[in-house]
Amino acid sequence: MIEVSGLRKSFGDVTALKSVSFSAQNAKVTGLLGPNGAGKSTSLRVLYGLIKPDIGWAKIDGLDVSLERLKAQARLGVLPDGHGLYARLTAREHMAFFGRLHGISPDVLEQRSDELIRMLDMQTIADRRTEGFSQGERMKVCLARALIHSPDNIVLDEPTNGLDVMTTRKVRELINELKQLGLCVLFSSHIMHEVSRLCDEIVIIAEGQVVAQGVPDAIRESAGEDNLEDAFVILSERAARL
Amino acid sequence: MKLLGAVYRKEMIDGLRDRRSLLSSFFFPFLAPLFIYGLMTLMIEQNTKKETIELPVIGAEHAPALIQHLVENGIAITPFTEDAEQAIRDKTVDLVLEIPADYQASMAAFELTRVGMIHDGSRNDTRATVSRVRQLIRNYSNELNALRLISRGISPRLIQGVQPKNEDIASEEQRAANLLNYIPIYVLMAAFVCGLGLAIDTTAGERERRSLEPLLINPVPRLMLIFGKWLAASTLSAVGMFITLMLCLWTMLALPLDELGLRFSLEHSQIPLLVLAILPVPLLACSLQLLLGLFAKSFKDAQSYIGILVIIPVLPSLVLQFYPVTTSLWMYLIPILGQSLMIKEILGAEPVAVSAYFLSLISTLAASVSICFIAARLLNQERVIQG
Repeated sequence: MIEVSGLRKSFGDVTALKSVSFSAQNAKVTGLLGPNGAGKSTSLRVLYGLIKPDIGWAKIDGLDVSLERLKAQARLGVLPDGHGLYARLTAREHMAFFGRLHGISPDVLEQRSDELIRMLDMQTIADRRTEGFSQGERMKVCLARALIHSPDNIVLDEPTNGLDVMTTRKVRELINELKQLGLCVLFSSHIMHEVSRLCDEIVIIAEGQVVAQGVPDAIRESAGEDNLEDAFVILSERAARL
Repeated sequence: MKLLGAVYRKEMIDGLRDRRSLLSSFFFPFLAPLFIYGLMTLMIEQNTKKETIELPVIGAEHAPALIQHLVENGIAITPFTEDAEQAIRDKTVDLVLEIPADYQASMAAFELTRVGMIHDGSRNDTRATVSRVRQLIRNYSNELNALRLISRGISPRLIQGVQPKNEDIASEEQRAANLLNYIPIYVLMAAFVCGLGLAIDTTAGERERRSLEPLLINPVPRLMLIFGKWLAASTLSAVGMFITLMLCLWTMLALPLDELGLRFSLEHSQIPLLVLAILPVPLLACSLQLLLGLFAKSFKDAQSYIGILVIIPVLPSLVLQFYPVTTSLWMYLIPILGQSLMIKEILGAEPVAVSAYFLSLISTLAASVSICFIAARLLNQERVIQG
């Protein structure tokens, strides 16, 4: 389970987060929705333990990220917004390195790698260096890297950004699979129909604060709109006016 | 410990596969000895070159004894009958010796006898020849003067006055060690050059490729990440440094240094001492490079900062050359300066105190580890993570 409460963060004069609180439950897919620059990535960075909030806290399975960073991070799998792969390492070596960073024993690591290679359909690229990989192939390596330690919570920052239709579908299938396995899945996106189709719960962020949280129907209701996209626009504009 | 191993292993694999950067880094260890070899061979050649000087002489037949003296000292005499000044202007000859027709008569009358040396004083390349011939004629004149005094029952000492006496107390090894000033420079420089590629790649490069965030998301203490990167860069640096050391020593042994009146000998027991003396240098070099790599705004920025670091090993030798101070124990406390001194002393077969090894090892290690701690703190800063 992921909980975030009262996050506030300023960079110099710029207030990136005013007050962000939301939670994501196990066995559910939670969508973090918001226009560019709304504070999605900043909120997630706080959650990863990359930046410290001025006020507020982020907890993963009840572990405060600021106070028990390593323990909290161990329970989290992350697909960050940049791929950041090592061009000279193979896909399998990526899994091995990040698995070791999580302290997984060698035999478990090997078993898990094979499992992920099968699951993500990457048999043909597993032992190739990632240099020259297509966008979709890179995404698979990143997903494998995020899942190598079998985390209970997974955060995906704009996972379908720049992917072709086939890979996008694959990622959506995977998100559903992870949910079936009982994981807490939190993903950010600015693509409306993706969020409405996949998510059990939606959190809308605009201007550094949460403007709505709930099941898609409730969100539509609170904005007085039938269409989620219109609801999103109305709620965002309402936040901007405040 | 396992985490450290994981980071180290990954950085080593990544670093060793970066052929291009590796090649440019390890160019240096092979270049340095080549440079020494070239420089020293040139020096030896110039010092031992006593080629016969060809000297055109006008009127050689007038002064057979003088000519005899010149010939005995390796001057090849050729008779000359043309216009001397013109020939020198045309650069067909460097120097013409002109012996006047009344040479014998003048000598017999004990008059001041002049012989002409016609040359072009603005030419640099003939200066050595001119001064050598001049010196030979002077010597001849001195001998003649002495004989003249003796024949009159006067001791030649009477006209000698004050003469400087040359006493060089440096042993042959020490003089060689002075000459070897650039070995510490090269060896220590190699430590700063060979780990540089990996150090930049793993800090500024990691951020620029956006792989730093995915790395920091993992449950690993930042200090462990820094230590792993540090040890990996230091490994490359140390390998490069020791290759440079061995190749430099081997070059020195292969050179005919005795022709310079120098002796360079190397006992097997000296090699472990040298290794011990310079062992912590790669650790220091790489810790500094990591710190600057993190501090820099971009990869390019890092390259220029870290490039400047390469002059550090030159500084001690440079300073000591201009301010030659007596070595005292505190100097070993200063990283790089201590190692420069020790390399020179070990190669010059001078005794190095055990405390010197101890001081330089401890101070350099302490500095390196402290720098790593600072780097780990930088890695906690949002500015540094996001670039």
